[in-house]
Amino acid sequence: MAQARLDRREQVTGWTFVAPALILLGLFMIYPIVWSLWMSFQVGKGMNLSFGGFANIMRLTKDPVFLRALGNTFTFFIVQVPIMIVLALLFAVALNDSTLKFRGLFRTAIFLPCVTSLIAYSTVFKSMFATDGIINEALMAVHLIGAPIGWFSDPFWAKVAIILAITWRWTGYNMIFYLAALQNIDRSIYEAARIDGVPAWARFRYLTIPMLKPVILFTTVISTIGTLQLFDEVYNFTAGNGGPSDSTITLSLYIYNLTFKFMPSFGYSATVSWVIVVVVGILSFMQFLIARDRRRSS
Amino acid sequence: MTSTTMAENTGSAATKVGVATSAAPFRLIRRGLVYLLLSIAAFISVFPFYWMIVGATNLSADVIRGKATLGGALFTNAATFFAQVDAPRIFFNSAFIAVVATALTLVISSLAGYGFEMFRSRVRERIFGLLLLLLSIPFAAMMVPLFVMFSQAKLVNTYVAVILPTVASIFIIFYFRQATKAFPTELRDAAKIDGLKEWQIFVFVYLPVMRSTYAAATIIVFMANWNNYLWPLIVLQTAENKTITLILSALTSAYTPDYGMILFGTVLATLPTLIIFFLLQRRFVEGMLGAVK
Amino acid sequence: MSHLTLKAVRKSYGSVEVIKGIDLAIKAKEFVVFVGPSGCGKSTLLRMIAGLEHISDGDLEIGGKRMNDVDPSKRGIAMVFQSYALYPHMTVRENMGFALRFAGVAKDQIARQVAEAARILALEPLLDRVPKELSGGQRQRVAIGRAIVRNPEVFLFDEPLSNLDAELRVHMRIEIARLHKELQTTMIYVTHDQVEAMTLADTIVVLRDGLVEQVGKPLELYDDPANQFVAGFIGSPRMNFMAAKVVEAGAGTVTVALTKQGNAHVTLPLTASPAIGSDVTLGVRPEHFGLAGAGDADLAVDVDVAEHLGATSYLYANTGTGEQLIIEREELRNETGKENLTVSVRAANSYLFDNSGQRLR
Repeated sequence: MAQARLDRREQVTGWTFVAPALILLGLFMIYPIVWSLWMSFQVGKGMNLSFGGFANIMRLTKDPVFLRALGNTFTFFIVQVPIMIVLALLFAVALNDSTLKFRGLFRTAIFLPCVTSLIAYSTVFKSMFATDGIINEALMAVHLIGAPIGWFSDPFWAKVAIILAITWRWTGYNMIFYLAALQNIDRSIYEAARIDGVPAWARFRYLTIPMLKPVILFTTVISTIGTLQLFDEVYNFTAGNGGPSDSTITLSLYIYNLTFKFMPSFGYSATVSWVIVVVVGILSFMQFLIARDRRRSS
Repeated sequence: MTSTTMAENTGSAATKVGVATSAAPFRLIRRGLVYLLLSIAAFISVFPFYWMIVGATNLSADVIRGKATLGGALFTNAATFFAQVDAPRIFFNSAFIAVVATALTLVISSLAGYGFEMFRSRVRERIFGLLLLLLSIPFAAMMVPLFVMFSQAKLVNTYVAVILPTVASIFIIFYFRQATKAFPTELRDAAKIDGLKEWQIFVFVYLPVMRSTYAAATIIVFMANWNNYLWPLIVLQTAENKTITLILSALTSAYTPDYGMILFGTVLATLPTLIIFFLLQRRFVEGMLGAVK
Repeated sequence: MSHLTLKAVRKSYGSVEVIKGIDLAIKAKEFVVFVGPSGCGKSTLLRMIAGLEHISDGDLEIGGKRMNDVDPSKRGIAMVFQSYALYPHMTVRENMGFALRFAGVAKDQIARQVAEAARILALEPLLDRVPKELSGGQRQRVAIGRAIVRNPEVFLFDEPLSNLDAELRVHMRIEIARLHKELQTTMIYVTHDQVEAMTLADTIVVLRDGLVEQVGKPLELYDDPANQFVAGFIGSPRMNFMAAKVVEAGAGTVTVALTKQGNAHVTLPLTASPAIGSDVTLGVRPEHFGLAGAGDADLAVDVDVAEHLGATSYLYANTGTGEQLIIEREELRNETGKENLTVSVRAANSYLFDNSGQRLR
């Protein structure tokens, strides 16, 4: 139907309903964002800022810690997001089978990590990943490793520990989205496919995946944003320094350090934060394009 | 798009009808694999909770040595925790912030969601589109100016500073707008004919009709606020104003953390969300589902 | 029990005009049905009367008072919605008394009015249930009850029966007719179902594209449609239209040749005198075909499909020219498909329309 034009009184009512939220968002979101954009072109320490043009952007290219943080963030993103999405999809499809026993129990168990705070769970994981801790002990007991892994002293294993932790925390969360979408799919489509003799893998590949595409896109974008903003876990695992030797530092952690730990460098930290904005924008757009392309080719 | 895939697929598979029936033994094996996979996933998901509880009963040395059985140090840990942490004060901070922020968020965001959906106009649609774009801007991009704003307003280290920026949540506005799409407009028409003003329609018709949406949103928002870390970390500076999340993190950052005591605190900090989750599990899942539809 | 007047009423959304100037006078106690195909503006017009849509131009008067800018609740109207629009969180009793509560009516007065409406609709046993626990027909009755409680001057119904199954629809139709008799209130009823319109209305208003096509009593519209649209819309199965050319006109008769029916000639007693050779359309209702030789012209047709309903039979016939005819005759119950059949057309039961669709009289 044509969108109804509202009369003037309804227009006023409409604005009244959205006004409180818009005022707050304007004050505590849009204004700070615009301000930080402006700040990103300022140089100087503390509040003594002066216009520096592209000086901050030049500094980015020569800042080894920034490049480290960017690289680490990408590593977490490229490795962790696909693993988590695939796992979540697998669990969701398995749990969507109404003949499965203990569905509710499995679902609750896998979703349970979502109720923990990022700090609480990273504390628990930190204690589990201790050098003589339960994880190493278990791995040695099944002879997967011969000597304990220094989870937080080795740059490689520190990243692995963080990826494992994030995956534990968020897989169930994504799974719920897929379960919801799966439950919205009309069962008779699958029944029709079975009568047509479509095997199970093909039903998954040609029916489930295309129908879940919007949700997969949605969760991928949300996870991308989340991963690029990664802060709490790393801060907590490494006592705020992103160690060992910056091997786990993320962009958000670096921004925090630039602003609140070292001599505050507001302009430069704003520039780094806009790197995240730009990266999130590019990645979301790319994911959107990929989703659209696949749709066309199939 | 799906229809074309289906058509192609049914065409190629039509010749193979009957193969499926001979796959019965495979189905059993597959079923077994599914249970195995889910059991492993469930075990991994639940084990850290077990670990947390067991850890709270063990001394730190046992915890980092990987002792996974109940110990006898629960009271020692509790005593250490309560000696180091002003628990009533800290839990009050967390609860106060979470409750007030949740209440305000629900009111303001549901009003906005209702307004955007019920009174559509071109300008407001544009604004809504802009808000969705803003959803992808990370908090890091605003935290510095926000901090400067609150320090200029002399509000650093107050509850107000923690609560205010979280109250208008784009995600929750979006959530309420989505949910409002299922609210029958004829109900609003009927209420108008029954003589209700717009705010009365909102309070006496919309609110009660949408109560499960509110319930789900309450859980989501409460958990987010209870667990919030980065912004409180920046803005709450003295120990007596900090939330339990901040205190836990500080304890963990110690050079030699007392894990038994910390895990005891973690159990306490996780308990409220766990209880809410188990009480309202169905609503919680429903709420998450509502956001997708 | 008010009369209601629409004067040059218009409604536009931006540059799109959906109601294009409607004049209508509805008498007190009258049962008026707005009927028309979907998108004709009938629901919009009803919502404008209710005050749910703003009137872009023109005047609406209820009981002699201009109501354009009056709040819906103060127009003296009550409305029954297609989806019933019952408040799901309230009991039947609360639903019915809700409007009065906001009108500041005393509690015992509300209770009395609700009880009275419940009595009229036999809703007493359901008063403490919530809508979820009611069947479709019961919800419909509650929706009507909610309207009755307000004691309105004018009842508005927006396709109230379209969510019910066929059997219940007939039942509720009779119930609404009975209600009108009992309450003696002005009622305006919107539907796309011409059977509902024919059976319920004192007056039918046929709408198309935001304009009134014809206003009249049900049988007037059936017997004497003003144009081809109304002729086709009222009556089921719909009127057959046959392409024709004028071969002779004047002296009180018009003779046309049915160009796609073997050029059969029909002479109609009309005073109009269309130009010789002009294209016209001849309309014949399915039930007005006669057996061979019984009318003024015979048509030879091939029957494609025959539907035998017992009391009557419908034959779907083709002449190979693309013009399909529906013939209804109870005598033809033994006809089967694929047979040649001759039927006749009676001039007295035929209608002639010019090529703009207007009736030639």
